Amino acid sequence: MTDNLEQLIKEAVEKALEGDMDAVNNIEDRVTRSKAKAALVKAKREAAKEETEANPDENSNDSSDSKQDKTTNEHIAELLIQQFPGDINKELSSQEHIQIQSKKWLVISTFLRDDPSCLFDSLQCITGVDLGEESDLEVRYNLHSMTHRHAVEIRISCPRNKAKVPSVESIWRIGDWFERETYDMYGIEFEGHRDLKRILLPEDWEGWPLRKDYEVQETYHGIVVQKVKEGWE
Amino acid sequence: MIVDRLIDWLPTGVAWPGLTFIVAVILCAVPVFLFIAVYALVAIYGELKISSFIQDKVGPMGQGVGLHAWRWGLLQPVADALKLILKEDIIPSAADKKLFILAPFIVFIGAFIAFSALPFSQTIIIADMNIGIFYILAVSSLGVIGIILAGWSSNNKWSLYGAMRSAAQIVSYEIPAALSIVVVIMLTSTMSMQGIIQYQSGLVWGFLPNWLLFNNPFTFLAFIIFFISGVAECNRTPFDIPEAESELVAGAFTEYSGMRYAFFFLSEYANMFVVSGVAAAAFMGGWQSPIPGMFDTPGWGLFWFMSKSMFLIFMMIWFRWTFPRLRVDQLMDVCWKGFIPISLFNIFGVGIWYLLVG
Amino acid sequence: MGIVKGDQMVLNIGPQHPSTHGVLRLKVVTDGEIVSDIEPIIGYLHRCFEKHCENSTYEQVIPFTDRCDYIASMNNNFGYVVAMEKLMEIKVPDRVEYIRIIMAELNRIASHLLALGVYGLDVGAFTPFLYMFRDRERILDIFELTCGARLLYNYMWVGGVSHDLPVGFVETVYGFLDYFEPKLKEYNEILTYNKIFIERTADVGVLPPEVAISYGVSGPNLRGSGVKWDLRKDEPYSIYERFDFDVPVGEGTVGTTGDCWDRFYVRMLEMTESAKILRQALKDLPQDGDVHQAIPKKIRPPKGSIYQRTESPRGDLAYYIISDGTPQPYRLKMRSPAFTALSVLNEISRGWMLSDVIAILGSLDIVLGEIDR
Repeated sequence: MTDNLEQLIKEAVEKALEGDMDAVNNIEDRVTRSKAKAALVKAKREAAKEETEANPDENSNDSSDSKQDKTTNEHIAELLIQQFPGDINKELSSQEHIQIQSKKWLVISTFLRDDPSCLFDSLQCITGVDLGEESDLEVRYNLHSMTHRHAVEIRISCPRNKAKVPSVESIWRIGDWFERETYDMYGIEFEGHRDLKRILLPEDWEGWPLRKDYEVQETYHGIVVQKVKEGWE
Repeated sequence: MIVDRLIDWLPTGVAWPGLTFIVAVILCAVPVFLFIAVYALVAIYGELKISSFIQDKVGPMGQGVGLHAWRWGLLQPVADALKLILKEDIIPSAADKKLFILAPFIVFIGAFIAFSALPFSQTIIIADMNIGIFYILAVSSLGVIGIILAGWSSNNKWSLYGAMRSAAQIVSYEIPAALSIVVVIMLTSTMSMQGIIQYQSGLVWGFLPNWLLFNNPFTFLAFIIFFISGVAECNRTPFDIPEAESELVAGAFTEYSGMRYAFFFLSEYANMFVVSGVAAAAFMGGWQSPIPGMFDTPGWGLFWFMSKSMFLIFMMIWFRWTFPRLRVDQLMDVCWKGFIPISLFNIFGVGIWYLLVG
Repeated sequence: MGIVKGDQMVLNIGPQHPSTHGVLRLKVVTDGEIVSDIEPIIGYLHRCFEKHCENSTYEQVIPFTDRCDYIASMNNNFGYVVAMEKLMEIKVPDRVEYIRIIMAELNRIASHLLALGVYGLDVGAFTPFLYMFRDRERILDIFELTCGARLLYNYMWVGGVSHDLPVGFVETVYGFLDYFEPKLKEYNEILTYNKIFIERTADVGVLPPEVAISYGVSGPNLRGSGVKWDLRKDEPYSIYERFDFDVPVGEGTVGTTGDCWDRFYVRMLEMTESAKILRQALKDLPQDGDVHQAIPKKIRPPKGSIYQRTESPRGDLAYYIISDGTPQPYRLKMRSPAFTALSVLNEISRGWMLSDVIAILGSLDIVLGEIDR
């Protein structure tokens, strides 16, 4: 599109937005006229969107949500530090997560579920993470509250060789299967779990697959296990 | 009475007196067996077409490509039969071999010998016993033994489940069926099949044929109860829990393959015909034509009987593809808490009607 | 499992079975016909999705997400793509947003049709299954028109979609909607209000709301228990806040709130709501815009992690992505809604009969591909 035409369309659209449709309708070339009409529709829609964005009661956009999330995490972190000093690692926590030492996790999680200002009645996800070779394993919990509609993320790290974390399956019943899966993939033992065994892999599989230093076994019941090619991409 | 006529016709004075009887019986049994085989093919074809129409399927309606479809899908039942015959006969190693082999035969015998009392027309009936209908009811319960044997000998928990459910269902639904037939016997004062049909000649209410169906409201109710109990006896949906595909794969018949499975299949269709035949004979006038006086020669009699039975079989097929299935305990509830009280009430009602109205 | 008492039988509803919705094994301890304990054994379809993702680039992950929940592939793609765009702070053009919503809602209708048809089949009604599949075929034809694939699309890419809408797309979808909406009345007549179907499913497998929340159940299963929670309304992502639709909730119309019938009926009503959203989206679809405009040349997100939830037909699908600045994800976890739905099976089937277990399993609408990954 030449600059001339662009300029023509821009002016026509501006005039139309003020209410004068003749500028658009009088463009002689059919192609240019239709382009001007399309640009007008787009401009109108963007104007409408700006208006609705200016009203905060309907659309809480991403920015305000994440602001709330950040304050939620920090807010809950402060609450926890008051209740359980010494168990929250403030230096490693951030605006997005709370880092916790693992020994009192069961008590802390009961508090998180029952305390009236927290009321985290829903455990959304348990993710195991391997922070790198020679480094720790970490378990991350995403909690959500159906009543207060806020969410936090809790991280607990444990050393590679003695990976033990208290189990929360008695508090949130879905912890049962999520923890079995994390155990299956990482080898992290959840103390207090009533029946910790592998869930996705066969019972007699060896090794913890999602660890970064996992070596797949040679054979399984006589079947040769195929190796993942190095540097596969 | 075909058996009697054959015995008269065959040469007497043979070495062993019972031989004529045995030869006559075999000569009667073969056409019945052929009839069942041909009828089963027709019924399978009918089920195929009706189900495709109800389910809006494309293939079997003749638009599909492929040799087995041919014209209007006519070769499909032949293909099915061939497949069953040519399949490998597998007997599970842990199964009880003798019972496993015996079971299909018992089920088939139960359905087969009931055919000897079905009145196909005024003159075509293999054995017109004076306890005809009682005999059919008694003999059609033999099939249960076969099903239990099949489930037990398969040595498989699922088959056992299916067999137990099936036995419970068939035995329970015998009762409302028999009680409905008691209503018929009360009115016609005879248990002979030809006698029951002859009672239903003439007109009732002025213009309707004197079928027991239209005779009085209690027999109408008895017909409905008998027909639904018959559907339950054949293990058809909505009562097909014993062979519930999505739960027990094939229930009591899971371990059967090839020709042995074909026997069970065949006996299910034979049973359907027996139930429809008895319902047609007892309630719908059998070989009587709907317009008394016209179309009532023996040739037409055969036509009326077959068309009434086929109509009832069509209803059974229609039910299968329309309704979901009932759970076992709901099945039992319907029978014991629903049908049996209604059948007893029917008997009472017919008695009162007979006294008051005559 | 524990110790089996003398009169109890341990039954195996094996991995190969006509009605377990995939390769699922259920170890059932029964007392006659009454079930006392069920243990689902999964893992038969485990394909190491998460480990694969650590060895692939971010673009290569998208076909993998298709194959997890193979019945609602568009929604799987959608969840991943929304998470990645939030992590990389990419803003996609409006046309792309509308196209994505149209595809996601069409796939929601297709997924519900399959779930309901197969549920009818489990309960013994053969015919509604074929009717619903016939209608689902029309949706799959629409998808084939757009991107060439019927079931696994690889359609939504980070920053855009793979193919623009073909000519005649809008008319085809309008035609489908006009054909489809009267069909819902027909389905209600033959299946939903059928007396035998109600006997099989009403009051069976009641899921109380607190149990549901504790077990992490979401989506139609949670809404069937009376909890009004839909991520499209309560935590809107993409442009869902521009659309006007209701969130159907189970009310115990023919039984207790939270029974199998309620879950079935919620799915039936959701199809009407999706049709509403589709009509609004088609009307407002921007005519111009380049769908490939915002796709980055090389996806290299900044270091960080994100947890993003979206509403798939089965519930609350979430991706937890940890990025370390390289073109390959460091860790990608997919939180699938069917995983949590299956875990609640034991709790709600105790005390019911074997046939009811099949009915309850069908009403939870699980897909093994998503559970095992």
